[in-house]
Amino acid sequence: MVMTALPVAASTLVNACGMGWANVRCALREDTGGLRRNDFEPALALDTWIGRIAGLEDAALPSALAHFDCRNHRLALACLEQDSFGDAVRAASTRHGKERIGVFVGTSTSGILATELAYREGRRAGDASTIDAVLSPSFYRYRHSMFAVSEFVRTRLDLRGPAMTVSTACSSSAKVFAQAARAIAAGVCDAAVVGGVDSLALSTLYGFHSLGLLSRQPCRPFDAERDGISIGEAAGFALLDPAAESTVSLVGFGESCDAYHMSSPHPEGAGAITAMRDALTCAGVAPDAIDYLNLHGTASRANDEIEDLAVAAVLGAGAPAGSTKGWTGHTLGAAGVTEALFAVMALEDGWLPGTLNCRTVDPRMQCRIESASRPAVLRYTMSNSFGFGGNNCTLVFGVNT
Amino acid sequence: MTALGIHGIGICATGLPDWVLTQAVLLGDAACGMEPLGKLDIPDLPVTERRRVNATSRLAIHAALQAVAHLTMEARARLPSIFASADGDGAILASTLEALAQQPATMSPTLFHNSVFNAPAGYWTIASGANGPSITVSAGAATFAAGMIEAGVEIVSSGDPVLYIAFDMPFPESLRSFGVAGEAFACALLLGPLSPATSAWGRIEHWERTASRVSPSAVPAALAPRFRGNAAAAALPLLAAIATRAPTVVAVPYHDGDCLELAYTP
Repeated sequence: MVMTALPVAASTLVNACGMGWANVRCALREDTGGLRRNDFEPALALDTWIGRIAGLEDAALPSALAHFDCRNHRLALACLEQDSFGDAVRAASTRHGKERIGVFVGTSTSGILATELAYREGRRAGDASTIDAVLSPSFYRYRHSMFAVSEFVRTRLDLRGPAMTVSTACSSSAKVFAQAARAIAAGVCDAAVVGGVDSLALSTLYGFHSLGLLSRQPCRPFDAERDGISIGEAAGFALLDPAAESTVSLVGFGESCDAYHMSSPHPEGAGAITAMRDALTCAGVAPDAIDYLNLHGTASRANDEIEDLAVAAVLGAGAPAGSTKGWTGHTLGAAGVTEALFAVMALEDGWLPGTLNCRTVDPRMQCRIESASRPAVLRYTMSNSFGFGGNNCTLVFGVNT
Repeated sequence: MTALGIHGIGICATGLPDWVLTQAVLLGDAACGMEPLGKLDIPDLPVTERRRVNATSRLAIHAALQAVAHLTMEARARLPSIFASADGDGAILASTLEALAQQPATMSPTLFHNSVFNAPAGYWTIASGANGPSITVSAGAATFAAGMIEAGVEIVSSGDPVLYIAFDMPFPESLRSFGVAGEAFACALLLGPLSPATSAWGRIEHWERTASRVSPSAVPAALAPRFRGNAAAAALPLLAAIATRAPTVVAVPYHDGDCLELAYTP
């Protein structure tokens, strides 16, 4: 069944490219990537490149929100303050009532870094009582827990509608778009703030290191010489409101599972194929109508190859596609919304982002990897997000007619 | 909101290892023990995953398997799943924190992929071959209600049944200060559109947010304290209504002091 187009009424984002749309647009236009040699103080031992947002270390939350203070919520707040997003939400809140606006936020690790650092410090000092004193029930609820990020966002935006965190690893903040579309269609809420927030954490940096997946150079998606991923941090939000005027709408989504392995994709991309096909069916558009696909494109050798196979199977060989992770790094639970918003921006601006750091496209790729950014007439764009646990989500956006 | 049929039910909790015993306990016909659940093997998993699978996944999947026991493997594999947990796997978190506190810090691949919040969903899809949509949600004390809403919304949206699993476990001693202490509890509900043929366990006539407070329920007084702090155990009053086949309006905690009202009819 074809879904009713759901207007993207407002959006905002923060990632290694910059704070807010003006800076991010500029970085995308000028091929200025946000990756830097690892200078994340708690994890300096790792020889890798990261998409760190400078300044979060010193951006403590205002006193009214002090109980929420952690890197993840500093990032969330920095993002909510860009692009007049709060004004757009206030207008929607006035229109629908604050109890009628849902909040659905994706994250993979929420505020775990705060706990990691407190625990490490206490453990190394040999002092369990300090750990116990810091890691209180309130610390857990407001800084660490999975729901903390959604609670922070609805508190900051003064919303009282349905709210939950979605945590399906790297597809988390793509799935919130699908979830919100369903919730609005079912009448559970009238509009929704969807988004994702994931900040740098020791567990994810060392976790990907343990899998041998971290590159020692800025990641190079779909390059013949790609050798792994760069981890980044990011936040992004969108207001989805059927009553709003907008240029672009969410027009389709597809979700699937590989049912194959916890951390490796299905070798033939079966789950990715299902997600993309279902997204096209949901949008009611033909495969050749997709003018640009923002690939999951992590720059891991195996994952890029499998994604290419899957895309060629659904959209056909030569489908125009690219990965923007050379700009932002892989922002994990925030990757879905970050890249969904790049797909939205492509439609708004008539501008197709290339694939930064992809100097020589892997000759085995069947997709047409767009290595350079360029102006383009675009009607429909697609974004892929795939996560651990074999969790896949594809979104389709279209220009309103 | 559209009525939901209850097509299957499962539970795995401390002292309540399956639905048959749970039903007897909820009817007052049996006492509830405190036996630990043990290892909870999952023979449906491939050998490697069967060895690596973490505790919350074992708990959640044991509940899930009961709820779909009457279905063929093909029918199970078609079910979208909704997993809900407030706190995830505290044992994995404790191991992760300990590993990261070492000098140098280390993580193992197994620890890492078990640390993702959707690990139970990942293992479930591997064990069952379910390759449709799966979502894992979290909403603090409102987690059970949030998962019910997601399940209801998906059923309204697709017209198809879904498997809903809520689970939570106490955190280990090294993280006791967080106060996540309720005994292990997972329940699974196979929910779908109303159908006389398949709604064997009754129906939820409506599910609505209300300003009402959590109502007194038929849950035996001895059970409540052991699961206090376990967000998934907010399911108990609904399970008690199902066990006693009593038409009941159950109120489960939701946000802002509100409840989600579930009107149960046998």
